[in-house]
This record gives sequence, structure tokens and C-alpha cells, in this order.
Amino acid sequence: MLIMNAVRVSKFEKPGPAPDLPAEAGTEAVQAIGRALEAHYADLVQAPLPAKFLQLLARLEDDKSASKAQGKRDALD
Amino acid sequence: MPSTSFKDDLLAETRNLRAFAISLSGSVSLADDLVQESLLRAWSNSEKFQPGTSLRAWLFTILRNIYYSNYRKRSREVQDSDGLYARRLTVPGDQESHLDLEDFRNALTKLPAEQREVLTLIGASGLSYEEAAVVCEVGIGTIKSRLSRARAKLVELLELDVAPQPPAERKVRRTG
Repeated sequence: MLIMNAVRVSKFEKPGPAPDLPAEAGTEAVQAIGRALEAHYADLVQAPLPAKFLQLLARLEDDKSASKAQGKRDALD
Repeated sequence: MPSTSFKDDLLAETRNLRAFAISLSGSVSLADDLVQESLLRAWSNSEKFQPGTSLRAWLFTILRNIYYSNYRKRSREVQDSDGLYARRLTVPGDQESHLDLEDFRNALTKLPAEQREVLTLIGASGLSYEEAAVVCEVGIGTIKSRLSRARAKLVELLELDVAPQPPAERKVRRTG
């Protein structure tokens, strides 16, 4: 089964619509996988974001502002 | 020089970036290290981001490069040690086929990394084939073949019935 799939993929080499499993592999199975994948991923995306990322970006921005302000002071001196 | 909106844009993508990192590495703690390093690198290289292109794809590219360069060896040793997957969820709207999410996640970890990442990028992160090809540094044909193989492997691992099913029996038979 898998070996056959590996051979069959060659017909998908050209750009175009999304390939799916060969028809005999079952559209329903592919759809079930798609739903499970989306649910799995949605769970990850919805997980609380650690505060450290917000703090990191805030700090980076503050550093930038500080260096800008320092630049202005240097220009005035 | 990064603008204020660039910071906001990064923040808006961080949840997705983290979800991709967890999927890629199999570890929440490792993913958080990856996200932190990626955000730092994105910030210091902000001038290289081309406005109008996908920031998500750009960030994924950065994170993926860091992962494969520095972290891959660490990944599976610490898999899910931090319990994000402790919750057992059912798949919403799942009337036609009952796929236990825990089973699905276990199967996902058994895929080769390059198949799992393509499946995630296309099937969950919302990237186009073209964007996924850029992120993974391969051609679109390779993306499609990896996607096809990933699905076929999951069908096999989850023992999903690929033939017409009796109503009460949904994932019990292996036909391959």
C-alpha cells in the first residue's frame, strides 16, 4: 500500500490542486485525519501563551526606543 | 529598524509559531526555547522580511532552521514531559469518524519529521503549498508527495478503514 503510494506521488509533481490519497485509500479516512489534525493544532494554538514572549518583545521594543532616544541626544550634543 | 507594528505582528503570530514548534519538536519546553530564539532572530533580521509576504511562513522558516541546526537531537528525548497533552479532547464535530485525539497524536509522533512538518504546515497552519515549499526548502512536488505519504502512513497507523464502513464500526479494520 505505502509502496504503491510512493510510486503514485510522481503524478502530483506538477503544480496544481491539493493531492489526496489515491481514491482507494478512502476520502473519509483523509477527512478524519484532517479534522483530527485541525483539532490537535487548535488545541496547541489556544494553549496559554507564556508571558515571557510578550515580555521579550516588549523588552526588544523598549531597547529600540532607548537607543533611538540616545541617538537623538547624541545628535543634540 | 523594526517598527512598533512589526512587534505587534510578531506577537500575533507567536501562538501559531509555538504550535508549529511543538508539532515539530514534540516538546513544549523545547518549543518555547525555539520560539524565543526565533523571535530574537526575527527581530534582529526584520529588515530581511519582505512586506506583503507571509510573516507566518517567514517565522516558520527561521524556527525550522534553528530546530534542524541545533535542536533536533534533543527533541524526542523530552517528548511531552511537560504535559500539555494531558487533556484528552474529542475531535469536535466528529460525527462521521471517531478518532481519538490521543491516538492521533501518538500516530503523528511516529511520522518522519519531514512528513509531520508538511502535514502540519498545510493541514493546520494554513500555509499554501508554495509557502510550505519555501519553508522546507524543497520543491512543491516534494511537498505534495510528503503530504500524501504522511496521510497514507496515518491511515495505516490509525487503522482507519478505507473501505465503505458499516454504521457502527468506524476504525476497526485494517484493509491494507
